[in-house]
Amino acid sequence: MHPATPSTADATTARHHRTQLPRRRLLRGIAAVAVAMPLMFGAAACGGDEPASTDPNAPVKLSIFWWGGEARAKLTEEALALYTKKHPNVTFEKTWQANQGYFDKLATLTAGGNPPDIFQIDDNFLTEYAARNTTLDLTFYKDNGKLDVSKFPKSLWQYGVVDGKLAGVAAGENTQGLVYNKTLLQRSGLPEPTTGMSWEEHIAWAEQVSKKTKVPGTMDPSADYKAFWVWLRQQGKDLYKGRELGFTVEDVTRWFELWKGARDRGATPTADVIHEGNATDITKQLVVTGKAATSWVWANQLPELKKNTKDELGVVAYPGDPSAQWARASMYFSVFKGSKHKEVAVDVLNFLLNDPEAAKILGTDRGLPANLDIRKLVSDDVTDPAMKTSIAVETELAQKFGESPQVPLKGHSKVRAELIKAAEEAQYGRTTPAKAAEQFLAACKAAIG
Amino acid sequence: MALTTTPDRTRRDSGSVRPASSGGGTGRIRHSEGLAGYVFLSPWLIGLMAITAIPMLLSLYLSFTNYDILTPWSEVQWVGFENYRRMFADDPSFWHAVQVTLKFALIAVPLKLAAALGVALLLNKAWRGVGLFRGLFYLPSLLGGSVALAIVWVNMFNRDGAFNSFLGLFGITGKPWVNDPDWALETLMVLAIWQFGAPMVIFLAGLKQVPTELYEAASVDGAGRFRQFRAVTLPMLSPVIFFNLVLETINGFQGFTAAFVLSNGTGGPVDSTLMYTLNLYIKGFTDLEMGYASAMAWVFLLAIALITVVFFSTGRFWVHYSDGEK
Repeated sequence: MHPATPSTADATTARHHRTQLPRRRLLRGIAAVAVAMPLMFGAAACGGDEPASTDPNAPVKLSIFWWGGEARAKLTEEALALYTKKHPNVTFEKTWQANQGYFDKLATLTAGGNPPDIFQIDDNFLTEYAARNTTLDLTFYKDNGKLDVSKFPKSLWQYGVVDGKLAGVAAGENTQGLVYNKTLLQRSGLPEPTTGMSWEEHIAWAEQVSKKTKVPGTMDPSADYKAFWVWLRQQGKDLYKGRELGFTVEDVTRWFELWKGARDRGATPTADVIHEGNATDITKQLVVTGKAATSWVWANQLPELKKNTKDELGVVAYPGDPSAQWARASMYFSVFKGSKHKEVAVDVLNFLLNDPEAAKILGTDRGLPANLDIRKLVSDDVTDPAMKTSIAVETELAQKFGESPQVPLKGHSKVRAELIKAAEEAQYGRTTPAKAAEQFLAACKAAIG
Repeated sequence: MALTTTPDRTRRDSGSVRPASSGGGTGRIRHSEGLAGYVFLSPWLIGLMAITAIPMLLSLYLSFTNYDILTPWSEVQWVGFENYRRMFADDPSFWHAVQVTLKFALIAVPLKLAAALGVALLLNKAWRGVGLFRGLFYLPSLLGGSVALAIVWVNMFNRDGAFNSFLGLFGITGKPWVNDPDWALETLMVLAIWQFGAPMVIFLAGLKQVPTELYEAASVDGAGRFRQFRAVTLPMLSPVIFFNLVLETINGFQGFTAAFVLSNGTGGPVDSTLMYTLNLYIKGFTDLEMGYASAMAWVFLLAIALITVVFFSTGRFWVHYSDGEK
């Protein structure tokens, strides 16, 4: 870039026959900036960290980083303030942002040697961080009771174990949920979907909906790893097995063909609308933008979805046998391995997850509370109808859950991206399901290899 | 690249670059004053070294490693030319992104320059209220690579966006432009072309420099408007065209923001907007392959340098510096 600009710029400006005066003024300006710059850097460098201390009452400043919206920020800040009230020597440096770009920022902070003491993470990235020893192994604290998971469902906290280390503690529980537009269905006198419908029945139902309401019955979830995952588990397969993929190219082909059939029958929207729905942004889910009657999301997202539409929404499990679903950690809290205040950080986690007061503040914003006693406490308190429905459905499904799968492998986020790419190739009709499946499998092998 | 040339350039700045300034003889600064200039500049130069040059050298080193951001520096492994080998031999997404970027630059840059020159010619006339129009045409460029603008664009060129409503007035059913893999990149091109204000202003400045005597002489000799444009305006404007061409080409290759926003950072639909820089970003920050991304950055730098060299060496044949001909 540099070689190009100066000399041509000179060639043009030289013809302006500038006098010396403006140039001298310019030099003076540059000099002023040049003098000012180091001063600014010098000032910035003064705000260093306080040294670690063994004194339990020494002031501790913990940094904490999470993604989410404003509502979550407010609740989290309130809960943290409560901790500070009880432990006045502990204060927090809170940073939060939207999900998009969160992991880029987290990676950059880690690379800069300045990662937050506590950070929110999900199963898409947990292994990436755990495998690189970025997260503190919480097993020790779990065993000595500093981090109490005795009231958690076992499969839930175990979903934070990577290679035998407890890399993150579940901040909440959720599971796959098919959210549908109740109002729309009632208006046309159509039946609501139910848990346990087969995939075939679901697609046939969606076709009916499309015909009667002119709104496509269901979003096409072929690009959605969580739907694909449930379907695989119902076929006796899984997304991952050990260090390998848990499925074959034939499985993917059948999955893509299932949805090609649904598209051909008019059960789903057109490819460009499906593409909109493939964006993970909750406000763009087709069930709230009115472009489809159902969206494939997480059950605990119902209240958030409800905020974006006037219509009544309902939620059921994904089609097929619901035992393919599991108590998934909607997200985790992890502690940075190099944190100077590990003990305090763990204590904060314990507080956020097990303290009744804190848990009441946090509610179900991060999913159902992981601690079952607290879950009961919080659900009794809930007044928001959408939240109530979500909790009721999740509690009911919890009776039917199967075993948790292993935490996704390193490279999982790439696998997700490749599934979207391959599925969309098929959705836009640029390739056949079989070819798209081959492409996906090759890309997956490269991603986790 | 920038490391070695920049201080060198600065030095030559005060002396003579081309016959242009030495021939004029007006822009010369006395030696001692020049020295003082560098002393005053040194804090800035040091900043340049720390903020640009050293990180660049580090990235050169990283491009030969398997650095993945999260692993501590001490555990980074040297992999030799593996990243470069993989890029050229083993990574279809790399070549796909190269294609997308070339297509974007080859179509958007010439059209943008043509639009800029065309409008500059119109606005060079002494109409009433021409200043207002200059401002209006420049406005989109002020919004620059802004995220807000890209968001507006996405909403305008949706299936039910403003553009399709407009087409609807004429009974035309539009496409879902930004969500159609066959049209998404083209929509981005239109956005880039629409922001022709910056080169337009430079063209306008260049047009003002063309001495009116030349047009008078040409019209006395019986040259028509088109002939005047071809024989007077274009040659006189060629340094400015050259400048804009180089700058806009480099900008075109670096297009990132709009593609990022349109595709939610994925390069979709179906990789149709996977610009080189976006692919680089995804590799570095989503796939956590920063070593590989660094290698991509260096290949990119060399490619742009090469293109610029080609421009400069061919420029000799069509760029006329009037001062040089004296």
